[in-house]
Amino acid sequence: MTNFFLQALAEVGTPSVLGLIVIGVLFGIIGGSIPGFTVTMAILVVFPFTFAMDPVSGVSLMVGVFVGGYSGGIVSGVMLGIPGTPSSITTVYDGYPMAQKGEPGRALGIGVASSFLGTIISVAVLVFFGPLIASFSMNFRPWEITALIVFALTLVAGLSSGALLKGLMAAALGLLITTVGYDRNSNLRFDFGLPAMGSGFEILPVMIGIFAFSQLLGNIEKLKDEKSEAKNIDTNVTIPYGQILKDMAGQKLNTLRSSLIGSLVGALPGTGGTVANFLSYDQAKKFSKHPEKFGTGTPSGIVASEASNSAVAGGAFVPTLALGIPGDLPMAIMMGVLILHGITPGPMMFEQNPVLVGAIYASLLIGAVVMVLCNLLLVRWFAKISLIPQQILVPVVLMLCAIGAYALNNNLFDIWVLFIFGIIGYLLWKAEVPLTPLILGVVLGDNLERQLFRALELNESWLTFLTRPLSALFLALAVASILFSLYQDRKIQRLKGAAQQENV
Amino acid sequence: MLTLTKDRALALALLLIVAVMWMESGSIAPPTSWQPYGSALFPRILLVVIGSFSLLILVRSLLVKVPERAGAKQLVAGWFKSRRTILALFLLFGLYAALLPAVGYIATTMGFLVASLALLMGIDTRRKWIINLTLSFTLTLVIFVVFRYGLNVWLP
Repeated sequence: MTNFFLQALAEVGTPSVLGLIVIGVLFGIIGGSIPGFTVTMAILVVFPFTFAMDPVSGVSLMVGVFVGGYSGGIVSGVMLGIPGTPSSITTVYDGYPMAQKGEPGRALGIGVASSFLGTIISVAVLVFFGPLIASFSMNFRPWEITALIVFALTLVAGLSSGALLKGLMAAALGLLITTVGYDRNSNLRFDFGLPAMGSGFEILPVMIGIFAFSQLLGNIEKLKDEKSEAKNIDTNVTIPYGQILKDMAGQKLNTLRSSLIGSLVGALPGTGGTVANFLSYDQAKKFSKHPEKFGTGTPSGIVASEASNSAVAGGAFVPTLALGIPGDLPMAIMMGVLILHGITPGPMMFEQNPVLVGAIYASLLIGAVVMVLCNLLLVRWFAKISLIPQQILVPVVLMLCAIGAYALNNNLFDIWVLFIFGIIGYLLWKAEVPLTPLILGVVLGDNLERQLFRALELNESWLTFLTRPLSALFLALAVASILFSLYQDRKIQRLKGAAQQENV
Repeated sequence: MLTLTKDRALALALLLIVAVMWMESGSIAPPTSWQPYGSALFPRILLVVIGSFSLLILVRSLLVKVPERAGAKQLVAGWFKSRRTILALFLLFGLYAALLPAVGYIATTMGFLVASLALLMGIDTRRKWIINLTLSFTLTLVIFVVFRYGLNVWLP
């Protein structure tokens, strides 16, 4: 692997690829720092630009966006008191009070340093566990893969927003979308007499339509509800490097613990940066000698938040690369991009495309360094950019989504796919249906059907799924995740009921 | 009369989709000796799952008492009225998609950006017009140049 890593490093180290990583990181930070824009949206906007690139260049650009995006929430969190992304909510708890006390440079510096260390530690986790899990999963046969996909979908459906029924239904709906067009036996399904439907739907326009429209139009609706105030912020920030080094020296354990929590949570399907953020902040508070200082501008709070949410980037690559199963939305889109470049993520990727795997590692590492430099040198610009109003962003992003969908195959039908799924996504979002399981269903649908029928062709008994130990284990875990979600739903309902009674 | 709620509307819409797709699945090629499971089995399993969950959502929504509100017609009309901006944006995007092949990228994109920025930002000041037109013009051309000459992608 070392040889391949060095080869990958040589490819990623060329000026053009390095330039792409810098552009990706810059765009990611900008995307992450604009409240309501999110890392996922930044990835969606950038992906059309990778179509004409070779896989290493395309993936490096996307990884740059990834690394920058997860760190981008620091700027708006510290300077505006508004989390740029949901995964930087707890950054605001201590970053904003510290900035208000006249130390915005210190808060930003601690956040950036923690983000850097979080990313580096998560890459170490990825390098160690990725190949390990991949070599273990090489033994998986169609029964195990089918059961694993079912488990991932139930886990995401249950965890996404506490609405288990709607989550499971959304996952099934996502799978159903992939059945349109010619199937594995070259039989036509659900074309409704339209020739354009024969080849089915491209997954990227479907994903963009479902996610981008609901998110962007949701932002517009929020603007109508909230009277936004124009904030006058002081963007003249100086970074006290000596103070930050001193702060970070006292946060070794906190940084390591938070980064490991972020990597682990990132590797679990259906969780992502937001869960990592809260979990790590909570743990840092529990282990702290001064828990009362949390929320008042303590470095420990910023470290816990930023190290964990940045560590999600490396952790989230583990199941995507090793098993071919993305755990969250940004990774689902990343997987779509890999597929677009002719690479099938999964255990075989480590054997078939070792240079590309190495390029991902290298891009993550280089991206982390670029992220630190960009954040420290350009902080005042990012603070200004984060004030771009949604009224300008929404039309621009919608246009870029349309062009991205078209450029995929130079096919206008894909813009219609984007539009129709945009309407569907918006309506489902209004009906409080979680969209992550739906998008994951779209990404995994083809593989699930292929593996299920391969299993049945090898052995026609459905019971084989229960007699093979690993397959039975995954299915048992799927059932357990549903039961756990049911228990959680009940608990939430009980708490809501109790709160309502107290109010009466 | 039954009050229309989010869950009830969702469940009824999904049940309708399931019914239509189930009927359509009848036209999928039947199983053969070398394809014993056929191509319709997988989507039909999913349709059963979606239909069952939709029914459960419907039943659960019926068990919750909802204060009587206006009829379905008024509710739907009210929903559309309160989301005029969103609907107008959807309409503009639909128009954009429809006109793109006929009018071409540059004119359609510029038109879409000017119209949607005007819709969201307003056109009550000279400053807003300047921002609108500058952004629409510059961005349309920059994207065109990047795709056409940088990425070798021909836009319509």
